[in-house]
Amino acid sequence: MKRIVIADDSATARMFIKRCLEIIGFNDAEIIEAEHGKQALAAAKEQEVDLLLTDLNMPVMDGETLVKWAKASPKLANLPIVVISSAGNPAKEKQLLEMGVHRVLNKPVSPPAMMDALADFMDE
Amino acid sequence: MIEHKPLYQAMISAVSQTLENMAFMEAMEHFNPKYEIPTDEVVCNSILINDPIQGEIKLAMSKSLLLKLTCNLFSLGEDEIDPSQMDDILNELLNTIVGLFMTNLLSDNQEYKIGLPETEIAGLPEIDASTIVWKLMTSEEDAIQIFATGASLVELK
Repeated sequence: MKRIVIADDSATARMFIKRCLEIIGFNDAEIIEAEHGKQALAAAKEQEVDLLLTDLNMPVMDGETLVKWAKASPKLANLPIVVISSAGNPAKEKQLLEMGVHRVLNKPVSPPAMMDALADFMDE
Repeated sequence: MIEHKPLYQAMISAVSQTLENMAFMEAMEHFNPKYEIPTDEVVCNSILINDPIQGEIKLAMSKSLLLKLTCNLFSLGEDEIDPSQMDDILNELLNTIVGLFMTNLLSDNQEYKIGLPETEIAGLPEIDASTIVWKLMTSEEDAIQIFATGASLVELK
């Protein structure tokens, strides 16, 4: 069973992402919800996590800072991170990919886009 | 002046795509450009655009449309809906719409920064010559209005 952290300050966005995950086959994944990057980072450090899905624009700790902290942590450096945000654009996407993010998706995310982004991860 | 694509169409596309993907609803220009959402029915929120232009975008719709969207998205009945869920949906819709609007508006290599959405208690904004208004509706003829203010944003019109 996969354990997935979803970091987004919007309950609507988290619910929408969970629904996309269910549609593409992650029905039995354990989902850990976080309202900001700091909460997500704490959850990922406390438990064995397989995937982190994060928004960029969040209070307390934004998604970009979360990525920097995760990549600097020996435990989380190899954790696949997918950014799902309304604040993305090609320039920001390039920057995030250079930081080690697996994929960047724009909101509103759709099940096909999610499936494409997580294809490698689903095969594991 | 920054390089940009047509402003009016950028917003129409952003609203259409957001409603279609999030709520499986179509959005189009309102058939009556003079239509106003009744003030006692309106819910409204706002978000700041901080960079590379400065402006504010407000989203307004009727409470009944927001309730319908909330029921659809959370798969709940009307009596099960919490007001905080309605606020959250309104904020996530605006956040997504404005992100897409900026992506549609700016050239590919242009970064942008937007703020966090906030609920507006004052209701519909005052409209003056420096306000751009989009009057839209869903396929069920529920009205959605978008307001843009801020000199550097409005001058892209």
